[in-house]
Amino acid sequence: MRINDRVFGMLMLILAVAYGWEATQFPIPFGGHESVGPETFPIMLSIILGISSIYMIVRPDPDEKWAPTAMLIELSVVVLSMLAFAWAIEPIGFMPAAALVVSFLSWRMGASMTKSIITGVTSSVVIFFLFNNVLELALPLGLLEF
Amino acid sequence: MDTMSLLMQGFAVALTPESIMFAVVGAILGTLIGALPGLGPANGVAILIPLAFSLGLSPTSSLILLTSVYAGAMYGGRISSILLNIPGDEPAMMTCLDGYPMALKGKAAEALAISAIASFIGSFIATIGLVILAPILAKFALRFGPSEYFALFALAFATLGGITGKNQFKTLMAAAIGLMIATVGIDISTGVQRFTFNTLELFEGVDFIIAIVGLFAISELLFFLERHAGDGLKQVAINKLQLSAKDIIKVLPASVRGAVLGFVAGVLPGAGASLGSFISYTLEKRVSDKGEFGKGDPRGVAAPEAGNNGAASGALVPMLTLGVPGSGTTAVLLAMLISLNISPGPMLFQQNADLVWGVIAAMFVGNLVLLLLNIPMVGIFVKLLSIPPKYLMPIVTLIASVGIYSVSHSALDLYFMVGFGVAGYIFRKVDIPLVPIILGMLLGPEMEKSLRHALVLSDGDWSVLFNSGLSIGLWMVAILGLVLPIVVGPIVRAKMKRSKESVKDA
Repeated sequence: MRINDRVFGMLMLILAVAYGWEATQFPIPFGGHESVGPETFPIMLSIILGISSIYMIVRPDPDEKWAPTAMLIELSVVVLSMLAFAWAIEPIGFMPAAALVVSFLSWRMGASMTKSIITGVTSSVVIFFLFNNVLELALPLGLLEF
Repeated sequence: MDTMSLLMQGFAVALTPESIMFAVVGAILGTLIGALPGLGPANGVAILIPLAFSLGLSPTSSLILLTSVYAGAMYGGRISSILLNIPGDEPAMMTCLDGYPMALKGKAAEALAISAIASFIGSFIATIGLVILAPILAKFALRFGPSEYFALFALAFATLGGITGKNQFKTLMAAAIGLMIATVGIDISTGVQRFTFNTLELFEGVDFIIAIVGLFAISELLFFLERHAGDGLKQVAINKLQLSAKDIIKVLPASVRGAVLGFVAGVLPGAGASLGSFISYTLEKRVSDKGEFGKGDPRGVAAPEAGNNGAASGALVPMLTLGVPGSGTTAVLLAMLISLNISPGPMLFQQNADLVWGVIAAMFVGNLVLLLLNIPMVGIFVKLLSIPPKYLMPIVTLIASVGIYSVSHSALDLYFMVGFGVAGYIFRKVDIPLVPIILGMLLGPEMEKSLRHALVLSDGDWSVLFNSGLSIGLWMVAILGLVLPIVVGPIVRAKMKRSKESVKDA
């Protein structure tokens, strides 16, 4: 199967066209036209990207296998958990958020429930104190602030 | 001699207690990073940049720290090659060929010690080469005008795939994507907003450190999950070291040859450390044909290891003197320099002479530290290597996120990091190399600036890009670098594969 490269090449071709078109729409800079404007370099790039994506569509490499659907769902859940961590770091604090995400990740990587919780809690507490007290980079305490 | 006195001044910087401390810390961290499978030097340095940045270290200290990490990672890579038969990074692949069989024969400790000595010789000789060659190249590069620089940047991208590159168009595509990301934000010379969609956060462009950590570290985590590689691999037990002076003398010629070859391969664009260790190994096999190469010959460990470390130091020559890195890790080091507001290139040797020479001297110090660390303390690193990734990778991810977060204290940066991680995962699935993307983001602004300067000076005449002998030469090399791998690449790759397979059969 050589679908991956074709699809990806197609997407990149769309990107190249959209990017190049956007570049032609730049307002004329104050002081009038110069021989090289803000759009010159981007237009060159969109041509290069365009050529290489057309090559990719025409002569695709064999596919690397995608993970089965179940794994893809799992990977998306992992990505979501990291986004949730990023969101939670300020409102609920670094330590609880980090403990949760590290435990979750190591559990998903195959550690047992107890061991992953131990990993999560110790690593987040150690890193918090290392950063706050030794390296003096303040991390938010969040809920633990009182 | 001028260079000598500058180097001595460098040692004055590198031998202050503070610098020695950073060199030691960097060496330890680097060895760990190199030894852990799946982390790799580029990755490790990338994770540490935001930390060094937010700790407010001085440029000299952070550079000493990170170059020691870089050197240490090259030492560390061999540990997993020898004990697990898994190279910590690509250039360490050739070390597997004889290192792992040696370990199987119950000579793991000897293999580790010999490779440490060979690494030391490799780095040491190559650092001397750097001392000699870098100032010459820097002086020469002063003659470069904007159009030569534009050609040089093109050359950097064209040769990045290396002689072993698989699909040149994918390298080109990756470079274009990186350069495109670099154009996001307010255009420096005209003030026009480009591709910002009127979002305030995009006005300053996309921070390449976030991109590097996302593309490398986060995508690696996803790959680990997918492969169910959380349990780690079984490693060969380590024995008690029995190494005589005679054994060391026996591998010396191999190490010196490997070091010189590696250095040359490191300096040349497009060759890189993988080719350096490959050439060193094959040449060694040819020169001393009586040995048992592939079955655990000590010289087969020493030669590629010296080559790999030699290439690592050699790769610093174009990075420091021209501002054009030749490998992933040197690209990351370049990111470090740019974020410290130091622009590498020929002027670096004049404007920041004490910094450059301090760093070079620190490389000598760091190497000595690494040699001392790696022979008696190798056991500790081996212990750490046995921590399964299922505990380690989440913690590494956490440290990476803390680093990103502490630069600007914004959750948005973390969203971007995760986004780049997902993109990196997809890129790797379709075989788009990540290094040209990073390099594009790093070099984009400079490349565009030199194009502008060249064209403004010539009043819009595009032929200015090809009007000096020097720039034509650079364009020729660039074209060769792009075309040659299509012809030679399959042959070299097949050879590398054959030597790898012949070992498996044995």
